[in-house]
Amino acid sequence: MTSKEESFRALVAAHQEMVINTCYRFVFNREDAEDLAQDVFIEVFRSLEQFREEAKLSTWIYRIAVTKSLDHLRRQKRKKRFSSLKRIIGIDDPIAEIADSNGDNPAEALVGNEQAVILQDALNTLPDSQKTAFLLSKQEGFSNQEIADILKTSVSAVESLVHRAKKNLHDKLYAYYAMQ
Amino acid sequence: MFFTCLSSQVMKQELMMKRHNNNIEEQVAKTMMLLDEIQPIKVDHHFRVRLMQRIEREFGQRSEYSRAGLRNRFDFRLAFMALLIMVNLGYALLSVQHNNLGKTSGISEMIDNLSDDYPSQEFAYYDQTSAYPAETVTTESKTP
Repeated sequence: MTSKEESFRALVAAHQEMVINTCYRFVFNREDAEDLAQDVFIEVFRSLEQFREEAKLSTWIYRIAVTKSLDHLRRQKRKKRFSSLKRIIGIDDPIAEIADSNGDNPAEALVGNEQAVILQDALNTLPDSQKTAFLLSKQEGFSNQEIADILKTSVSAVESLVHRAKKNLHDKLYAYYAMQ
Repeated sequence: MFFTCLSSQVMKQELMMKRHNNNIEEQVAKTMMLLDEIQPIKVDHHFRVRLMQRIEREFGQRSEYSRAGLRNRFDFRLAFMALLIMVNLGYALLSVQHNNLGKTSGISEMIDNLSDDYPSQEFAYYDQTSAYPAETVTTESKTP
């Protein structure tokens, strides 16, 4: 085993839990979170030599995790839009059905909780910066300073983002339940 | 009587609205609470094994591909260089042969021309005159 591999193994061991849980906060699904975490570490392995220590290594890794999670949500959104378009046209999308029945949907991930679907839909309407700040603030282990480092912004900006995210989320959920 | 009835109706409606709003607020709060209730997940012990296998697969393959690619590229270059050298040598050989042929044909042409020239009238006359130089001299001296 090379020294690079050895140090990488140690790095994975130190950060895997935090990375998986960060991804899980975004996607609400264990399998997707693990797949994303693998992508994160692959990216880390690939570009570890390019890491210039401008930030802490952990901050850099969590930033990759956040970016990958946001990309995943964007892809999911596009897929959803595309399959609903197909449904409108009248073409059945078997892939979407399989994905839905395989636990790709958060209601199954957080078992028996259809509120999770509503919550995730509402979260997905928030801007990326608000969503990230809010979700990271809900996760244990991230201080506002760390969130600020990940988002490359100031602590006060993070506080403001979290406050706005809470308010927007509340309003969106309220509007949703009022319509029911 | 009418006003008291109306006001009680309004109050009832307000109460119902308030209750409805409270209901909504409760549902919103419950939904938002989900984020606080999410328990951190434990990492599967196969996670790191799968990750290292994937790295081995992706990066091992990539380096092998790049090595093979380099080798192929090298082989291709070598073959191309050999082909170029052979073509050049062939061309050089052909041009040398062609030049040699041209030279020999040129010489034979010259010889032919010479042999054509020798039996000509002028040469014969000159030859004859040169055969008798005295006569020629006399004729030449005779002329004014």
